[in-house]
Amino acid sequence: MGTTASQLGKDLLSEYQELTFLTKQEILLAHKRFSELLTKDEKDVPNVRVPMERILTLPELKSNPFRKRICLVFSTSEHKDGSLTFEDFLDLLSAFSDSATMEIKSHYAFRIFDFDDDGTLDCDDLQQLVNCLTGETEDTRLTQDEMRQLISNILEESDIDKDGTVNLSEFQHVISRSPDFISSFKIVL
Amino acid sequence: MSINKNTILCYRSYCLNVSQSFRRCGSNLRSEIGGKFGTSVQSYFVFLKWLLMFNVFSFLVNFGFITIPQLVYDFSPNVPNTTSFRGLEILTGAGYFNYTVMYYGSYSNETLEGAVDYKMQLGYFFTIAVYMVLCGIALIFSMASSFKANYVLADTTSGGAWQLLCSWDFSMTNERAVRQRKNNLRESLSEKAQRKQLTSSEKLRHFGIYLGAWLLSSSLTVGCGASIFFLCRYEQLTLLVPFMVSLMNMVVPLFFSLFNKFEHYSSQRRQIYVLVARNVLLRMCILGVLCYYWMNVVATEYSCWESVVGQALYRLVFVDFIFLLLGSFFGEFLSNVVGTRLLPRLGIPEFDVARNVLEIIYAQTLAWIGIYFSPLLPAIQILKFFILFYIKKVSLMQNCQPPRRTGRAAQMKTIFTALLFFPFFLGALAIVGYTAWSLTPSKHCGPFRGLDSTFSVVEVWMVQLNSTGGSEVVIFVYQNVIRSEIFYFLITIIILVIVYIFWQVSQGRKQLIVLLRQQIVNEGKDKSFLLEKLQNLQKSQPNIRSKNHKKVGIPSLLARFS
Repeated sequence: MGTTASQLGKDLLSEYQELTFLTKQEILLAHKRFSELLTKDEKDVPNVRVPMERILTLPELKSNPFRKRICLVFSTSEHKDGSLTFEDFLDLLSAFSDSATMEIKSHYAFRIFDFDDDGTLDCDDLQQLVNCLTGETEDTRLTQDEMRQLISNILEESDIDKDGTVNLSEFQHVISRSPDFISSFKIVL
Repeated sequence: MSINKNTILCYRSYCLNVSQSFRRCGSNLRSEIGGKFGTSVQSYFVFLKWLLMFNVFSFLVNFGFITIPQLVYDFSPNVPNTTSFRGLEILTGAGYFNYTVMYYGSYSNETLEGAVDYKMQLGYFFTIAVYMVLCGIALIFSMASSFKANYVLADTTSGGAWQLLCSWDFSMTNERAVRQRKNNLRESLSEKAQRKQLTSSEKLRHFGIYLGAWLLSSSLTVGCGASIFFLCRYEQLTLLVPFMVSLMNMVVPLFFSLFNKFEHYSSQRRQIYVLVARNVLLRMCILGVLCYYWMNVVATEYSCWESVVGQALYRLVFVDFIFLLLGSFFGEFLSNVVGTRLLPRLGIPEFDVARNVLEIIYAQTLAWIGIYFSPLLPAIQILKFFILFYIKKVSLMQNCQPPRRTGRAAQMKTIFTALLFFPFFLGALAIVGYTAWSLTPSKHCGPFRGLDSTFSVVEVWMVQLNSTGGSEVVIFVYQNVIRSEIFYFLITIIILVIVYIFWQVSQGRKQLIVLLRQQIVNEGKDKSFLLEKLQNLQKSQPNIRSKNHKKVGIPSLLARFS
């Protein structure tokens, strides 16, 4: 299965529609935007893989603090370099779409926040998460004391079995009480 | 054959393009406004659109059931020869408009003969009543559904650090907005991390300032109410009262924001709530004074008093509209100019969502009060909201920056709907109900002339049905359900019992949650204890493992525990 030339076949379109949460118009728009990222030689190659740097030029991802993690999570390449095929791209948009369920969104949010990919959010992951959200440079980060206090507050709130890390169920439990999450975890082209 | 296929393909791709652009137009709100300014500003525009729907429904219902029968019956308004249409009527609502179907006074009270016998009195009464009831039901359902979705388990952790982290708005695409959000998040997080403890003298000082601010704002509110009541006497200057009302609604909240700056609050949310509460009290006080004046003074002094009240409401709506446009001009455009050219320290203005929402809720309340006195007022309201939508959108794009505080859009929608329903809709319903129940309709004009009160229309109808042998069910329902007090008493007792049972159930569930949390912690401790014991066992007796690995299956045990 792959995409050829500049038009999506009708049966491919309906297959994508069944497999993802996207509507037909959204898939076509995604195809158009993805094709704009391809160079002239790549346009005829089926299953072409676009490197991460080019994906990050999309305006929807350019200013997102989690852009690199998003590409790494949705990438299916063996080298784990964050490059995306068109189907990876559709997966990304599907998880961030309006109609995706809370379980899907919280599952992917957990994977995005898990910076070391070990299946739990420990102190290092939380520290990197806070740094991503507060600022990249030295003067906009929190001080060491503030960071330590904040992480212990976070763990106190969400670590139910008191093992020092936040696993997927605890994360989903916290998310379920945040009504803003499902409407803010959205990327629309 | 091939030409047909081509044209069909062409047509299909054209339709796809049109529907795509249509969909983009409809989802412009989401991508344009939501992407650049965040979900809380987007919720303002969604709310404005929703209120517009109420008015469209109201206009269709009123026009269809009240105005069209009247127009069919008597097409030309009976205008006396002295008045003619001058352009000024659009501003004051009086003069030529007084004799048209715009106001209560020009509706007849007879049974209109025609294809169907249409009783104008019953038509007028039931249209207004049914519309208000439907509005109430729609508001209750909307409030209940958003409450259910957004206040699941109000725990101590709601408002904690996780909420801040997980509410990052992924749909924001503007570079500057993202940077600003990051700054604000950093400030909120460092505040959360610090958790200062206040000394008791500081607490006393904060409480004193808080009390002083409340006293000042209450006295301002009462002063405004008293001055409006005093100014109502000067009826000759027809635009004076609406002008002063709108001026107060614009200027006094600025004082409230000023007081807010001096007070110290434990959380930002409480600060917003207190500010909104003071603004609501101000507007309700002014509206209350106006309604008191209309019900008690105008109703006794004028001959066709409902039309007079209708005209006063029309003027209020119109002047409010002009002030909203002026407010947009001064609040956003001029602030932008001042902030960028003259005083760069102030910066670009923010779009103040709370103030704007309160303004449109107030405008909608005026329309709801006015429906009884002026059935075609929703038409003016539709135009007003329609123009306001586009002006605010343009002003937002050109002049404003995204709000600095990370807006909690979901909770704000619940709060807006609750505000709309509780003080404002119920207040409007109370005013219309009081008018229908207690006040004598004017004797010479309108559909209820000659009756003791508007509600006696139903009594008269019941008597008619009884004498002509009409529907038994309706008479039975009226006598034993609506008029009997025992029915309401029983219903109240049953509802109280049900509420008490649900309350006890929720208390029991809270205790269960505490027990379950403790159980999870204990299980975690058990798990680590057993794992430790297993590892000690492994270390002390390594030979047994190699002999008995078939029986024990330690790797599978380990796998099950971790």
